[in-house]
Amino acid sequence: MIYLDSAATTMQKPAAVAASTAWAVNHLASPGRGGHRPAMAAAEKAFACREAAARLFHVNDPERVVFTFNATHGLNIAIKTLARPGSRVVVSGYEHNAVTRPLHALEASVRVARGPVFDQEAALEAFRRELDRGADLAVCNHVSNVFGFIQPIEEIAALCRERETPLIVDASQSAGCVPLDFESLGAAFIAMPGHKGLYGPQGTGLLLCGTDPAPLLEGGTGSESRRQAMPDFLPDRLEAGTHNVAGIAGLTEGLRFVERRGVERIAAQEARLIRRMGKGLRAMPGVEVFQSREGEVQAGVLSFRIKGRDCEELGEELGRRGIALRAGLHCAPLAHETVGTLETGTLRASVSAFNTEGEIDKFLQTLRKLGHS
Amino acid sequence: MLYYLIVCRSLTYAQRTAAALERAGITARVLRSPKSISGEGCSHSVKISQRNLPDALRVLQRVGLTPKRVYITAGDGSYQEVAL
Repeated sequence: MIYLDSAATTMQKPAAVAASTAWAVNHLASPGRGGHRPAMAAAEKAFACREAAARLFHVNDPERVVFTFNATHGLNIAIKTLARPGSRVVVSGYEHNAVTRPLHALEASVRVARGPVFDQEAALEAFRRELDRGADLAVCNHVSNVFGFIQPIEEIAALCRERETPLIVDASQSAGCVPLDFESLGAAFIAMPGHKGLYGPQGTGLLLCGTDPAPLLEGGTGSESRRQAMPDFLPDRLEAGTHNVAGIAGLTEGLRFVERRGVERIAAQEARLIRRMGKGLRAMPGVEVFQSREGEVQAGVLSFRIKGRDCEELGEELGRRGIALRAGLHCAPLAHETVGTLETGTLRASVSAFNTEGEIDKFLQTLRKLGHS
Repeated sequence: MLYYLIVCRSLTYAQRTAAALERAGITARVLRSPKSISGEGCSHSVKISQRNLPDALRVLQRVGLTPKRVYITAGDGSYQEVAL
């Protein structure tokens, strides 16, 4: 199989990820829940994971690296800490339902800073305009999960800092794929999954906390057990219940892989593959490709659609021929609305550090065999 | 053997404390705090040898990891808080 669905989850992982996850199941207990060796070894593993994430994302204090079950979990904590019913919230035109649904549930007053895809200046201007109308919170994804558009997050963060508007960054598609600096952004929160560009197992995620959060769950933390209020310090405040220790063990190895390989190198490789794919797709009649002309504002995600073809049917057909990619709305109807693809959806191909040019060529060849040449 | 226990607000804080001390060449071990000194219940401490306390406090001050409380073992197995 040629796997081109890494924007959903990376399936090819460094070998150490599976090995460490499996080892943890039988050797590690629960951090903070005992002084015996398996509990302390689990605590050491969790701390190693926090330290690896802190190094990768430039977080000065590893206590601010909180384990979550996925990016959605982290985004819910972040949004429900900072937004209230009626809060004025500015979001980009590329947000995932992991952002828009919690805001909808909270009955926040959401305004969309909309700009054309792959136009960073327009994105920035849209944010400036909407923030100047008054905002209690801004939420922005760093990289669109549908189009791979890299939003100008440093500049958007600077706008928010100037206006003292807290910013939540959804780094679901950028963590491990595009450089990301927690301390320099000064964001209130950055949420990310562990199972995409960080190559950890599913069921892992990280929330980097730049402000004091409100717990989403209450329960045991292995600390201050006589008090009924949740601890007021991180990470315990947000980590009620038993950790996903096996997942954390795997995520540690994923983070180490990204650290060794280098985010810039991974980004360059993914961009090269996407350029090759886009060039091949554009040569096919009837194929509309959503690609950044210069390439530097697109990560390893590319959407396309074919005139007269249902994207889901074509996705199924490709799947039967050993090509795994994703069709539809990708849980981000807002992004499709922004670009004008809400009615048709798109086919989305997304790559990882493990894809090769040969695989891209094979995918293009398969598509041509289906009559698109 | 006499030793000190630096009581920390959380397991992760204790791990940061121990890591900072180890980096400075001071042997430090994270353990669960004895019930009698755990305060609000369930906490973690960093154990260091008696001779290392002054150096440890200097290191922790330098890296901004202020100890919550420090205890010394007494001969009878109990703990006495050390005024910092």
